[in-house]
Amino acid sequence: MAEVILRNVCKLFGKVPVVRDFSLNIADGEFLVLVGPSGCGKSTTLRLVAGLESLSSGEIYIGDRLVNDIHPRDRDIAMVFQNYALYPQMTVYDNMAFSLKMRKVPKREIDQAIRRTSELLRIDQLLDRKPGQLSGGQRQRVALGRSIIRNPHVFLFDEPLSNLDAKLRIAMRAELLELHQRLMTTAIYVTHDQLEAMTMGDRIVVMNEGVIQQVDHPETVYDHPVNLFVAGFIGSPSMNFLDCRILQNGDSLCAATDGLRLKIPAGKQARVQSYVGRDAVLGIRPEHIGLASDPARCDCLAGFTAVVRVVESAGSEKIVHARVEDHSLVARLDPHTRLKTGETVEFAVRMETVHIFDKVTGQTLM
Amino acid sequence: MDNMAPSKKAGFQKERERFGYAMVSPSMVFLIAVTTLPLVSLLAMSFFRIDLTSPMDNGWAGVENYTEIIKDHRFWHSMRLTAVYTTVTVVLQVMIGLALAMAFFRGFRGQGAMRVSVLLPMILAPVVVGLSWRTLILTPEYGILDYLSILMGFGSKPWLVHPSWALVSVILIHTWQWTPFAFLVFLASLNAMPLEPLEAALLDTRNSWQRFRFVILPMIRPAVYIVIIIRTMVALRAFAAIFSATGGGPGTATEILNLYAYRVSFNSLNLGYGAALGTLLLLLTVGISMVFFRMRKAN
Repeated sequence: MAEVILRNVCKLFGKVPVVRDFSLNIADGEFLVLVGPSGCGKSTTLRLVAGLESLSSGEIYIGDRLVNDIHPRDRDIAMVFQNYALYPQMTVYDNMAFSLKMRKVPKREIDQAIRRTSELLRIDQLLDRKPGQLSGGQRQRVALGRSIIRNPHVFLFDEPLSNLDAKLRIAMRAELLELHQRLMTTAIYVTHDQLEAMTMGDRIVVMNEGVIQQVDHPETVYDHPVNLFVAGFIGSPSMNFLDCRILQNGDSLCAATDGLRLKIPAGKQARVQSYVGRDAVLGIRPEHIGLASDPARCDCLAGFTAVVRVVESAGSEKIVHARVEDHSLVARLDPHTRLKTGETVEFAVRMETVHIFDKVTGQTLM
Repeated sequence: MDNMAPSKKAGFQKERERFGYAMVSPSMVFLIAVTTLPLVSLLAMSFFRIDLTSPMDNGWAGVENYTEIIKDHRFWHSMRLTAVYTTVTVVLQVMIGLALAMAFFRGFRGQGAMRVSVLLPMILAPVVVGLSWRTLILTPEYGILDYLSILMGFGSKPWLVHPSWALVSVILIHTWQWTPFAFLVFLASLNAMPLEPLEAALLDTRNSWQRFRFVILPMIRPAVYIVIIIRTMVALRAFAAIFSATGGGPGTATEILNLYAYRVSFNSLNLGYGAALGTLLLLLTVGISMVFFRMRKAN
């Protein structure tokens, strides 16, 4: 077990920076998730910790040891790869035994470790098979087993679930978490799937273009995104963004755009007071848009009229795409809502939950 | 629909088939003329006495040529040479080719130019290779290799004139020319390996040798088999380079089976006996490759 510290880590491929000034302390036993779109530098960061890439500058500590110049095999880490990286010519047993064999661990000890781990992962029936004869989920379990058996200080996961089908992915997600709760080994987990990040991480790190955007608990990142990028990346369907202008309306403020005039709740006005007369971006989560006729009202509703364009029934919810003037809005509604395409409907927004961003810098105002 | 027999082909299918046969027939005729016919005539000749130095005795000989071969010391000598020549050249090609491929696989500065120079020998005609080694490389004192040998204090060596050295020389020549083939196959095979197991091995193994021995080598094993099979088949019937470098000499020091068959046929003009030797070489090559292919499948 160990904490992992990254200090001002930079990585350049040629002249292209892929990771920029990455600093983070990962606590002992923490499950940290790195999330971001393709090419944001999350996998590179993980590979830097593993030692599969060399640092351009900065420092990485595992435990209290500076590992910059330490070979991957001596870093006391285990990595689970996207394509499992099992040795194709070896049986499941040999795959799991390999690293211990190379370290000259006595045969009996290896055998015991394999029995124990394979039972834990329910792959004890597969020990004689070769990776080619296994399904994706089984291969992933073997890859997990291979890394667990070494009893490493840190687990590194590089999108380990992205090659599995949707159902299996959800099942494995839970299994991984359960396993982590059991082993309590520090884990760094890379994914491009924001849902996976939300459900798995003790903390999540949202990255874009090699730079950390936000590090926090999943709920905090969801409820209080620091900028437009995080707000748009986390959440599905993603947040509605409307270009608007902050206007003074008597003694209150409102965010105005073509066909919409949404009153900013009194408690939040102070924060946008200085933006009066300036352009901003309004961010509304789909679940914060409801029907005006809905009885579950609160005081701070702002209404608007929109035309329904598409209704997606997802069983537990209805996703409604509506149009106001030139703006497209997505709302997440109760599954029993009856709406028809082309219908004109009164919607209401819970204004105490909306976000307003600076249009130029993208930073959150409220 | 159900009264149509499934084996019956529709008119347009038959027409397509006829068209296909018509298209391949010229090359089929050509292939038969240059490969099958010579092979059949070789086999036929091996059952006749065809000695141009005493043509009056020519005629049907049955298996006489073959029974004679069994008693022929020069034949057994050539078989031993063939075995040594083939084994040593193939082993050297695989080992050096693999080492080179590993060096290039890891990548280094200027590897593009190096790769071309490594591949160059393969492009040359074997006759040219034999001749240039004989003149440019192995000539006493002036040849590069002999010059280097003198510089390094080993002294001038009788590269092509001493029986043992001549065998070493022809093995060197063959290895020099054909290692690039092994290199090319191994390099392609290394580059086709999935990257992730190699990275996993970086974490799992204790040193580079373990990584090579237990992870990389098993993954490119099919390529190693293919190289061994192809290079064995070629080495068994090597001819041009040896012919132009030593002509099988001195004496019979580099006279592998193929050269013996040639010398019997075209120097001694005993065509029937030569054909029998050629047939044996053919059977040997086919037999050994079949064994190798079996072994490869078993793996």
